[in-house]
Formats: sequence, structure tokens, C-alpha cells
Amino acid sequence: MRIIGVYNIKGGVGKTATAINVAYLAAGEGNRTLVWDLDPQAAATYYFRVKPKVKGGGKALVRGKRELDSVVKGTDFENLDLLPADFSFRNMDLVLEDAKKPTKQLTRLLKPLSEEYDYIFLDCPPSISLVSENIFRAADALLVPMIPTTLSERTLHQLLDFLDGHASLSELRVMPFFSMVDRRKRLHTDLVQQLPESYPSMLATSIPYASEIERMGLHRMPLPAYAPSNRAAGAYRALWEEVKAVL
Amino acid sequence: MTHAFRRMTREMMNEIAHDYLIPDGTSSQDIKGRIQARSRFSEERPQEVTKRFLDSFDWSLYLEGVAVEERRDRGRHLLLWHDLRTDAAPCVQDIRDAPGFAWDLPPGPLRERVQPVLGVRRLLSLVEVRSRVQTLRLLNDDDKTVARLSLEESRFNDPSREREGPLALRLRLTPVKGYEDAFHETAQALDRDLGLEYARTPVFLEALAACGRRPGDYSSGLDYHLDPDKRADATTKEILLGLLDTLEANIEGTKANLDSEFLHDLRVATRRMRSGLTQIKGVFAPDIVEDYKERFAWVQQITGPVRDLDVYLLDFGGYQKGLPLPLQPHLEPLRGFLFAQYEQAQKAMVRELGSAKFRHLLKAWRVFLEAPVPERSALPNATRAVKIVADERIWRMYRRVRKEGRAIMPDSPAPELHELRKSCKKLRYLLEFFQSLYSKQDVRGLIKLLKVLLDNLGGFQDLAVQADHLRDMAQRMRDEDRADTDTLLTMGVLVGDLLNRQQRARVEFAEIFEKFDRKPNRDLFRSLFAPESESRKDS
Repeated sequence: MRIIGVYNIKGGVGKTATAINVAYLAAGEGNRTLVWDLDPQAAATYYFRVKPKVKGGGKALVRGKRELDSVVKGTDFENLDLLPADFSFRNMDLVLEDAKKPTKQLTRLLKPLSEEYDYIFLDCPPSISLVSENIFRAADALLVPMIPTTLSERTLHQLLDFLDGHASLSELRVMPFFSMVDRRKRLHTDLVQQLPESYPSMLATSIPYASEIERMGLHRMPLPAYAPSNRAAGAYRALWEEVKAVL
Repeated sequence: MTHAFRRMTREMMNEIAHDYLIPDGTSSQDIKGRIQARSRFSEERPQEVTKRFLDSFDWSLYLEGVAVEERRDRGRHLLLWHDLRTDAAPCVQDIRDAPGFAWDLPPGPLRERVQPVLGVRRLLSLVEVRSRVQTLRLLNDDDKTVARLSLEESRFNDPSREREGPLALRLRLTPVKGYEDAFHETAQALDRDLGLEYARTPVFLEALAACGRRPGDYSSGLDYHLDPDKRADATTKEILLGLLDTLEANIEGTKANLDSEFLHDLRVATRRMRSGLTQIKGVFAPDIVEDYKERFAWVQQITGPVRDLDVYLLDFGGYQKGLPLPLQPHLEPLRGFLFAQYEQAQKAMVRELGSAKFRHLLKAWRVFLEAPVPERSALPNATRAVKIVADERIWRMYRRVRKEGRAIMPDSPAPELHELRKSCKKLRYLLEFFQSLYSKQDVRGLIKLLKVLLDNLGGFQDLAVQADHLRDMAQRMRDEDRADTDTLLTMGVLVGDLLNRQQRARVEFAEIFEKFDRKPNRDLFRSLFAPESESRKDS
């Protein structure tokens, strides 16, 4: 089993779209795949038409009152399951703080699923917090979507600095890639050219800005499911191929 | 609760699909219409799915309660392991090539399951099922899929028997995780309101039955149900006919070299036949016995070299691993040499098995075995009840084994152990032929006891033969310039290792025989087989 966190300190960069589109492609190849929607905004849960409700909330999960597996929901797609979000996830940091070994709770919770799934995608909330640290420890790799702006470069730098400061996270593979790239914007095209020189782990695939991606909320399903030949769907396919090759 | 068990129960709770049979005369359109009247659903595009069910020639998977399926579905090529006893969700693995031997499968959970059951046998195709699958996704108010219904229209095909035809229309209800209520409601509606019947037989067994195959229809084991009062000559023919059937069943697989067990079973059947022919004495005319004994010795002779090479090649990995690490690569030229020899030997054997001589032998033998026994006979045992003859033969052979075994001292020459081994084999075969005439449990216990003794004696002799054979091969490889000094030295180490193991087997013999010869075993042999006059004597 591989655990892939889809993460950025910033919000609105295409994390959820990445998590569910890539997970959909993984499942389509026959991999048993799970998306865990850790973001209390519950966008991934909404896309899969599942109710954003976990009985007992995050607390019941962390305290072991409810097994992770028992709250999993099958999606409309074979091999693709979802662990829905719950509004209580906004207080996850507080729950984690109360637990023993607060940075390793997610790792512990995911362990029993290791034989059930080939891939687990964590759709992470923005910000850098105890939840994020749990994700860094649990994941084999981080997929970091970033809009090509100077602010994005700064947050990537912050993330890499944070990871550098923790020896236990040195194994974590960080895979930044460009998301919502608008070819009409000069700054975007410039940064897409320049940044990979400073960050060699940057993936070659960029996801274009596309209105079809925004329409995922209307269709309530992954982009390649309703628009398989769309250019952006092709970009997600290329991204998944690249991720598999790196892993 | 172990993790594996927890996983299993979870699969059982969550993932068991229900299969229903659609009655004759009801079309998939009818069923769709009736479901539409009750629930909202979305129709997927129909898919063509091809399933090929596989097993070894001796049904090893089926006998373990397993069906293995090779499936082609939407561009994917899969191997599935179905547990027929629990209905749990199948274990699935992607594959590239058509499956054959377990060791050629890609590493993964499926290979781990298949390997111990399949052993050295090859997966062979039993029957193919092609289905057109139309999936309906049942939806809730959010248009979310909460259960799946698949209508499967299937046809079976068995190219080897040229049989082909339709199977019953099936409807499969599959739960979606987390929506168990919808699953149960739908199941209830199908049961109660639509009156559909559960499919009690998996499609695999339905397809096998449709092409006239009975699972487990081949076994190399002996399972006769003999009548104790039947004439000994007629019973002997019955036993030998069963063995001839086994021999013949393995000819094609041996010629095609599908796996090494075909030849092994063919040889075991031949050996048993010769043993039955010569050890059940006084039932056939001596010239018949002598004639067929010789002719079947020829069968052993023409099949021997390939079997020897099979054994070497199967053991090769073990030999190599047993050597010190730096020497292991030097054994590779031997593998190449064995393969080259194998090809030649196999060709020669196939020629002989296709010869008129072989065909005539089997035909004549069958004519003899199928001919009715003469009403009267001058032969001493022909018309006696088989149970009496079996008692006498087993008792006599047991006493010989005991006498020969007790005479073996730590310094006895190897041929004496070889003689004992031959007697033990004869005794074992007699026990196996006639086991249905006695208490099953008792005879099985004695056969097991003999098996331990035979393993020891076999180890002793086979290791010596292998060591000799390796020495010969080393000589030939040197003459043909196919082995350098390192290879020859490594083969020397291997010979030394084999001789050490042989020595160990020799040392262990005394203890193993002593166990065989303990009083409770002696008493059991006596009570089962000894004539009245001897039954009170102490052995």
C-alpha cells in the first residue's frame, strides 16, 4: 500500500481536484483505492455525492471508538472508496493533542487498511498544523499542487524547510507540480520555466487552468469520468503516470 | 482476533454479492423493466467478459475448495482466487501472460495462495465462460450509487471436447460499502417480490456440468471398493484395469510435457501394475504374468531417463541453495547440461510412447483385463475369495519385511537395504490395493508407517544413485569440455553433500525400523492379516 498526501499550506490550489482525479485513475487501473477527505470543507465528499458525516466525528476515530473501515463509503466507481469528511475535523488538532504520540495518530489509524488498499490518497486541509504533521508521517509521498506565483514559491520553501528540520521526515518524497496554469499570464509561463531549476523534484506535468475542472462541482464526479478526452483530463493522466514512475 | 481473520470477517460482512438465477423464458429486458418499476438506476454500457477456469490435472485447487479464474475484462487481464467454501470476495491479481506454473506468476498474494496447493503442477484450462454483463447502478436521492445489479448472459465453451452452449441467465447484486441498508432492501425485493431464486451453484460448476465434466474425475490415488467374497482373479483384473486407466489418462500430458507429474503418475501406475501382477500370486497363468511383467518393465525403462532428469531439475534450486554462496554460480553449467539432455531424452521417450509397440501393449493388456475370467481354473488362487488371498499375501510380505529388516546390522551392505526397500514397496502396494477389505483407519495407519520407512530407505538409495549419476555427468561434461575446474569442484562438493545425507539416512534407519517393528504394530498386522493358526503366536 502507498499513501499519498495531497497537500499545500495554501488553499484553493487544486488539492481536492488532484486527489479525486488521480485516485479515480488509479482505481480505473484496478488498484483498490481510498480517498480520505480530511478537510472539514468536505469538497471531495461532495464530489462523490456522499454525506459529510462521520458518526462520533474525528474524536471517535482517533480514540478508537470507531474503526476507520466502518465509516468508509463506496463511491460510484469500482475499486474507489471514500472516507468522508465531517465538520468536526476542524477541531482535529485539539483531538490529536490529547492523544498519546500526537504526531503518529494517522499512521496508527491507517495501518489496519494496509491490506485493503493499494493506494490511499489524503485530501489535506490547508495550513501547517498537527494534522499536517500527522500526514507527513503517515504518507510515503506528498503531491504538492502549486499555482505558479511568487507566493506559492514561498510556501513551498516553507514546507521544505519544515521537513528539513525533522529528521524523521527525511524519507518523505515531495513531488511539487504546477496546477491551474494559465498560459495567458506571463508570470505563470515564466515561473513554469524557472522554478524547476531551483526545485529538481518538481514534476514535469502541469495541470492547466480549465473551466471543465471547475465544472466538477456540477457533475459531482471526477473529471476523467465525464470528460475523458478533455485536455485537463489528459494532464491528470500524465500526472498519474509520472507519480507512478517516481514511486 | 488476528489481522487476517479480521480482514476475512470484514470481507464476509461487507462484500458478499448475491447471485440469482433468472427463470427460463424471462429475458434481461423483462428483469430490467421489473427493477425499473421499483428503483431508480443508471445503466452502464454492456461489457464483454471472458473467464477461463483453471485447475491442475488432478483437481488440486477444486479439492481445496477453490476455483481459480483467468479473466479478461475491459482491457485488464486478471487472475482470481475464489474460495468456494466461504463465498468471500475473490483475491485478485493482475497478470501479463497466460498462467501456467505457480512459480511463473507475478509475486503477490495470489501466487502465495496458489503455490502451496498447486505444487509442481501446471494450471490447465477446464472451461471458458463468455459473458455479456449489463450493470445497473441503483441510485439514492443524491444520485449516488448504493448498490449494483449485473445481468450476466453467458455461454460456456470447452474446445477440447467441442462443447459449447448457453448457461442460465444470472443476476448479481453487489453491495456498495457503507450502504448496507440499500443492499438488504434490494435483496429482499428480489427474493420476495420478484420471487428470484438464489443461484446455489457457482457459474464455474454450472459450466463444468454443462460440458459434461465431473470435478475430481481424475486422481492418481487408489480408491477401490472391493467385495471380499468376489473371486481373486476377477478382483485382480478390476485393480489392474483401474491402474491401466490411470496410465492411459497420463499419456497425452506426458507426451506434451505439460508438467512433470503426468510422467510421474504414469510411472507409478506402471510400477503398481507390475507389482499387482506379480504379487497377487496364483491368479493368472504364469506365462501371462511373465510376458506382461517384461513388457511393462520396458515402459519403465523408456520413461526412466526423463523422470531422473525431472527429479534433478526440480531439486536443482535446492541443491544450489545448499552450497556455500561463492560456489552457487558454478553449478549453472550443470543446469544447462541437464536441459540439453532433457530435450533429447524427452524426444526419445515421446517417440517410444507413440510407437506401435506401446500401443499394442496397452491394447492387448486391456483386452486381457476386460475378458471375463474362466468359470473354472487350475490356478491355486484364481477362484478363491479375494479377502483370503489378500490376507495371505499381505501377511507373507509383512513377515518378509520384518525378517529382512531385523537382519540389517550397522555394517550390512547396501544391497540388503535395497532388497528391504523392494519388499516394503510390495507390501505397501498390496495394502493400498486391498485397503477397502479392512478397517480403513487401521490400514491407513500401517501405510503411513511404511511410508516413513520407505522414505528413509528411498533417501538412502536415491542419494547414492544421484551421487553416482552426478559423478558420471561430471565425467561427460569434462570430456565434452562443458565444465571448467570450478564447476567440477562444485559438483564434487554436491556429491559430498549427497553422500553425507545418505550416511545420515543410514544411521537413522535403525531407529525408524525399530518404531515400525514395535509390538502394537506387530499386533495390528497379526490381527488383521494372520491366519487363525498363527493368530495366538507372539511375533
